[in-house]
Amino acid sequence: MPDYTTGKRIRDRRLAQELTQAELAKRAGISAAYLNLIEHDKRQIGGSLLGKIAGLLRTDLADLTGSVRQRLASDVLEIARALGTPDVDTVRAAQFADRHPEWARIFIRLHRAYRDADETAIALSDRLSQDPTVRELSHTVLSRVTAIRSFAEILQQHGDIGHSDRERFTTIITDQSDELAESAREMITLLGGSLGEARPTSPAEEVDDFFIHHGNHFPSLEDAAGELRARFERQPGTLGGQIAERLAALSEGTNGREPAPPSHMPETTVRFAQARRLVVADLPDALTSVIDDDRLTTEAARERALRAVASYAAAALLFPYESFLETAEQARYDIDRIGAIFAGSFEQVAHRLVTLRRPGAEGVPFAFLRSDAAGNLSKPLSITGLRMPRYGGSCPLWAVHTAFAVADRPVVQLAVMPEGERYLFIARTVKKRMAAYGEPPVTFSVMLACDVAYGDRIVYGDGFSAARTSLETPVGHNCRSCRRVDCGQRAYAPVMLAGGETQGTVAG
Amino acid sequence: MAKSVLIAEDEPYILESLMFLMSRAGYRVRAERDGAKAVAAAVHSQPDLMILDIMMPTLNGFEALKQLRATPGLEGLRVLVLSAKGQEADRRRMMALGADSFVTKPFSNQDLLAKVEALIAGPRINAASESS
Repeated sequence: MPDYTTGKRIRDRRLAQELTQAELAKRAGISAAYLNLIEHDKRQIGGSLLGKIAGLLRTDLADLTGSVRQRLASDVLEIARALGTPDVDTVRAAQFADRHPEWARIFIRLHRAYRDADETAIALSDRLSQDPTVRELSHTVLSRVTAIRSFAEILQQHGDIGHSDRERFTTIITDQSDELAESAREMITLLGGSLGEARPTSPAEEVDDFFIHHGNHFPSLEDAAGELRARFERQPGTLGGQIAERLAALSEGTNGREPAPPSHMPETTVRFAQARRLVVADLPDALTSVIDDDRLTTEAARERALRAVASYAAAALLFPYESFLETAEQARYDIDRIGAIFAGSFEQVAHRLVTLRRPGAEGVPFAFLRSDAAGNLSKPLSITGLRMPRYGGSCPLWAVHTAFAVADRPVVQLAVMPEGERYLFIARTVKKRMAAYGEPPVTFSVMLACDVAYGDRIVYGDGFSAARTSLETPVGHNCRSCRRVDCGQRAYAPVMLAGGETQGTVAG
Repeated sequence: MAKSVLIAEDEPYILESLMFLMSRAGYRVRAERDGAKAVAAAVHSQPDLMILDIMMPTLNGFEALKQLRATPGLEGLRVLVLSAKGQEADRRRMMALGADSFVTKPFSNQDLLAKVEALIAGPRINAASESS
């Protein structure tokens, strides 16, 4: 049992509010003696009394029970492991999160910023080493600098050179300086314009960045969808029926921009599409105010973002936050089981799980990734420590790719990164529409990933013991950044090995 | 008789500065701007030392050096490699192919001259013992 208990937390919060035991006990409707026992962990507390005390202390249940601290602690621990700090254990991480929660949050934010910068550095390194234009420009810049330096030294060190030589060398220096400036401008345009600020290059990437920036959680959309749902719940009939009725009413007037889904879609897709049409029609302000964001620089990106936040709001409507989180916890994040309860597809449920990041009521932190059969990746969402491939190819050993070999059931993998971090990968192929004769099926693989530290909270962690390594799959992020030189799936040579050396050959 | 230096460098201004420096230092200088011509010139004129750039048209520095080291009669030729690529891997590869010294761009004229002088004055030593 950790040393910082619910009783001690109640006592600390009470003292911070400058309340006496007698005052708090009176307001909570219990005796001061009983509160004293609770504060000294002589009595268990839970249920409505704990909720009441949380309210009186102007905090929430999660704060008093310590789940906020546990989350902070596990994030801190995850980061410490990612940084290769062996002497930070669960207890020390918990102590840090307990005593300095604000610093812990800053530490986590700082690590995220560092990781983003690291990703940019890898992308730049990839770009510099592979891009022939950059290589050519670097060579040109270096040649100009060499000529300038050499002639400048000649002028300085050879005082006896003739007038015409002197003039010629000065002219060369001037010309080469001009050309150097021009090359530098080209370099700045090339790097600054596309990578200097890690600017995304496509609308899809802009939208990815936008979601990553918001931690894939939009409180205003949760609230708006919650209100819409509450309105429906006051009416008789099922939610699906209500939505269909409302859409029918809307279609009599000017129907929204969302077209009706084709009839050959799976039922869960139809239902989700209906919910999307509804939120587009009924929550236009909530949707447009969310996408009023500088990160979305083009009309194409804003349109794409609008569709994505409409999907978010539709998920929030169909899978309401609190009950979805509660069900997920009870079902130990069994995606198919949650899908059966909420009538959602594997991808819808997986995607909703990633959005459970409400401060104080967070689910297991999951990363998300989707791939088609050719390995084209979409919707990447990272978690602390695990970088989602984005700028280059991804590691072919990841479950998101191997799931294509196993149709219609989840593939679970205990993936070990080259630096030793361990993650559970859960991937499954999903069909976006029912195949009709002569029509190619639209198939994706959807993957969730979480730190193996959460293994005991999710059903997919069963069977993967921390002590057993036989089930581990050694993986990387992508070939370019991976140090596993003897990997049988290596497609490209690593960009940099330890000491900055470049590997010259590709292992067979 | 003055010692001779063959310069293989495709960048015209760098070539001009090298020619000036080597002439001033009292060497007989010959220059080529592509790798294949530089190898032919080395075979023909038997210079004491060659300054060899890596990135050159027709035959890059690696290939040129390989051919030079396989050519009978050029065993005494000192080769100083000049490269815009300052990477350790390039240096080691050039040294393994039989380069005698390695200088990265942008270079200091004095350092370059000192290396040229030292290489020409001394016996041809094993490339692997170079440390520059």
